[in-house]
Amino acid sequence: MLCKLTRWLISREVDRGIKTPRFALRHGERCGACRAYARFAASLPSRFAGERPAFLASVPDFPLNEARWAEDGGVREKRGILPRRLVLHPFPAAAAAILVVAGVLVLFQGVLREAGPSTQDEAAALAALKTVTAAPDEFQGMVGKVESPLAKERQILEQSVASAVEYLQARLNIKIERKDTPKSL
Amino acid sequence: MVDPDPIATKTDEELAREARAGSRRSFEELALRYKRRLFVYLRPRLGSDQDAEDMVQETFLKLFRNIRSYDPAFQFSTWLYTSASRLAISSYRKKRIASGRLDVETAGALADPEARAAGEAGSAGIWDAARDLGGSQYRVLWLRYGEDMTIEAIATSLGKSRLAVRLLLHRARKSLMKRVCPVPVPVEATKAAAVKGTPLG
Repeated sequence: MLCKLTRWLISREVDRGIKTPRFALRHGERCGACRAYARFAASLPSRFAGERPAFLASVPDFPLNEARWAEDGGVREKRGILPRRLVLHPFPAAAAAILVVAGVLVLFQGVLREAGPSTQDEAAALAALKTVTAAPDEFQGMVGKVESPLAKERQILEQSVASAVEYLQARLNIKIERKDTPKSL
Repeated sequence: MVDPDPIATKTDEELAREARAGSRRSFEELALRYKRRLFVYLRPRLGSDQDAEDMVQETFLKLFRNIRSYDPAFQFSTWLYTSASRLAISSYRKKRIASGRLDVETAGALADPEARAAGEAGSAGIWDAARDLGGSQYRVLWLRYGEDMTIEAIATSLGKSRLAVRLLLHRARKSLMKRVCPVPVPVEATKAAAVKGTPLG
């Protein structure tokens, strides 16, 4: 167990430059295998560097197909710099699509509720229409009902004019008479 | 006296910057510098020399296409090996789909028995021993000692965490030690000489 830990700490020092703790150093003094590992790990950079040229020289030489670069370069020059292709990652794209659909649904529901009359309103309007068409005799009465606010306004106006006349007669000591019966508005 | 070719004295990053600005000559120099290095990196993964050559060609073609997206803040080798690794993974997946669950590295070792036998019997080179480790252990050793890349750059190239890279390196060193010097060193070897210049020294 201590050997494994010591070797890991040796590797850590080689890779990250963090000094090996004292307990591992003490273990290394007693353990030949860990000492051998430390020696081996320390020798690796020079060994690899020393043998690298021969290793690369053993690779069979092969030509690079530069003609394909020329073809590709020609195409690129004709097209100019192509924009980067839009890459959609599945999860964010799905989440965005769900959000858009939900938003549209909410908006649509709200607009529908505000714009359309309710079924009760529709029923009342139909009933009113039926009464008008079904009873033509009462049409005049219904018109009178509809006009009643106008007659009431006229009455109120006449009353206020009459009270104004009374005030002026009393105040200025004059007499004001109605010439004729009032004309219809 | 003839002056050395000025382009040969430039660093990879300088060449990559020039290639990014449109210099094809600089890109060719980069490709010449890296084609063998990329080949030895990809060869164990792809199984045959031909596949490895094709992958090297594909990698350089991809880099040539995307040279404008190279960020000079990063080392060129990191960018190159990242692209190569991705292409190799993509190629591996395509092959696996085409021929069932084919382990390319195993298939490569079987497809090239002469080279493997030569590696086991004749060559005592440390790089050959490292290549025999196969898989990610060889790749991580190549990037660390062959390309002198930092742990961070290796992690970027391989798409792994730094801890995963360190763990791979540690295992690779232990496996390599077993192959290169399988006989344990006598315990009573001269301790002072044994630890001098090592992490224990």
